[in-house]
Amino acid sequence: MEQIHKITLLSDLTPPSLERTWLSAPHPTLPLLATCSADKTVRVYSLTNFRLLSTISGGHKRSVRSAAWKPNTKENVLATGSFDATVGIWRNDEQEDEDEGDGQDRDPEEGWAFSVLLDGHDSEVKSVSWSSSGSLLATCSRDKSIWIWEDLEDGDNNFETVAVMQEHGGDVKCVSWHPVEECLASGSYDDTIRLWREDVDDWGQVACLRGHAGTVWCVDWEGEGGGSTTTTTIPAGGNSSQISAWKEKHARSARLVSCSDDRTVRIWRRQPKDHHQQYRPSDVPSIIRPTGLEEHWDEEAVLPTAHDLSIYTVAWSKASGRIASVGADGRIVVYEEQFTTSSDDPLQTTWTVIDSLPGAHGIYEINHVAWAKRADRGKQADEEVLITTADDGSVKVWLV
Amino acid sequence: SLSTLVNTDDVFSFGKYNPDSDIESLDELTEEPIDEQEVFEHPISLGALAVVSLPDILIEPSLPSIPDSPLRTVTVLITPTISHCSLATVIGLGVRVRLEQSLPSRFRVDVRIKEGTHSTADEVNKQLADKERVAAALENGTLMGVIGKMLETCK
Repeated sequence: MEQIHKITLLSDLTPPSLERTWLSAPHPTLPLLATCSADKTVRVYSLTNFRLLSTISGGHKRSVRSAAWKPNTKENVLATGSFDATVGIWRNDEQEDEDEGDGQDRDPEEGWAFSVLLDGHDSEVKSVSWSSSGSLLATCSRDKSIWIWEDLEDGDNNFETVAVMQEHGGDVKCVSWHPVEECLASGSYDDTIRLWREDVDDWGQVACLRGHAGTVWCVDWEGEGGGSTTTTTIPAGGNSSQISAWKEKHARSARLVSCSDDRTVRIWRRQPKDHHQQYRPSDVPSIIRPTGLEEHWDEEAVLPTAHDLSIYTVAWSKASGRIASVGADGRIVVYEEQFTTSSDDPLQTTWTVIDSLPGAHGIYEINHVAWAKRADRGKQADEEVLITTADDGSVKVWLV
Repeated sequence: SLSTLVNTDDVFSFGKYNPDSDIESLDELTEEPIDEQEVFEHPISLGALAVVSLPDILIEPSLPSIPDSPLRTVTVLITPTISHCSLATVIGLGVRVRLEQSLPSRFRVDVRIKEGTHSTADEVNKQLADKERVAAALENGTLMGVIGKMLETCK
């Protein structure tokens, strides 16, 4: 009997790259998607009609591995990381059509100009990430380092190197900024996840999370309240007292999700500072880090096993709180968090797989998954889509 | 003895990357010309050295939980000639690259060191299983040249 799937195909992006495509980055506010290909180009697609708007080429000499849109700015600025060891910053002066960019009459290269090449890494750049303010760019590489660059925004395309962190013992596979705070998470070939913050003038490691038994391919943050401006997503099935207690707990912590070559997806929670200090022996003076920036993180959950091979990307929806994962087995898996009814702790939750779609890109491995706001004509208010990116170059848009 | 052509820690590229100039990385490679000759003018081919033998090649369904999945995993176990062979990673990479270029896309290639035959097998296996490192190695002209030469006799 055919299984009925909750994950259903909405559209392919056309025309696709014909080579391996590593990642697709949705624009933070506009219905645009940038895809990174082994053909050394970045393609920008419309999420309104799923057609190609521009192909950005000529900047990188090897595969483009990663891309990220600068948030919090009126221009369209894209950062790209390549196997050629450089990071490119691209600008588009012309505003893309938000609603009906049909892409038909456009010169494919029109508008995009290469503005600066950030040189510093010794080998392949694996991942790039902008902080929420848009002023800091983090990049990481097989050279085991993480660089933080500040966009001086002086109209002259100047970037300053703010920090180079070299604590990881292997390739740094991914970097990801907290959605509000200036706190950076990284995952590595050394099987660890590390967290980084600035202390006065120095950036340093504030936590090292161990638990994965293989390369950590990707980390992503939960959408964060960070005060009262944004709402925290709430697990399903809670009563009003559970929901308010959940919100209060969340205001004082943060969660991170990670996926690995070990075929697991794990969730980590930062313990509130006061809680952590209660357990710190007061008679031991902290010489190494007198300001006590260290953070205490716990492994909160291992998600149900759903993949047969390496998991390459995990994405935490900032809108719904659902998590999606993809990997070498060609599956798309979506997980949902629910309050547990049979526990003494009213805030205890469990994660369940709400759908697992095998062969989503046929026989090909899926390298990346991202959540984006639905923007085509069929959209309903606040509806989301999943975007997956595969080894054959195909990029697909799904409804869940 | 086989000297170090490639540092196992940095096997998928040679020293400092310079994307503008493949010549520069060639220079770095030829800094140790003796090693290169020792290895690649070795009179015995990889085949004759029995680095791979038939019983160490397995073809199995990649996703046993999906009976009608066309995906197959080809596992190749490599037996290095000596347990500290510094070329194990390059040889393994060569086997992986050759299989990936010859087999249809429904095959997943898994090249590993046969258990108990190499002192740093785990390290080598981790590199060979890393899709991103292998992809980057394929774009490194110098390294691909080395592998092409190595596989010349394996037509």
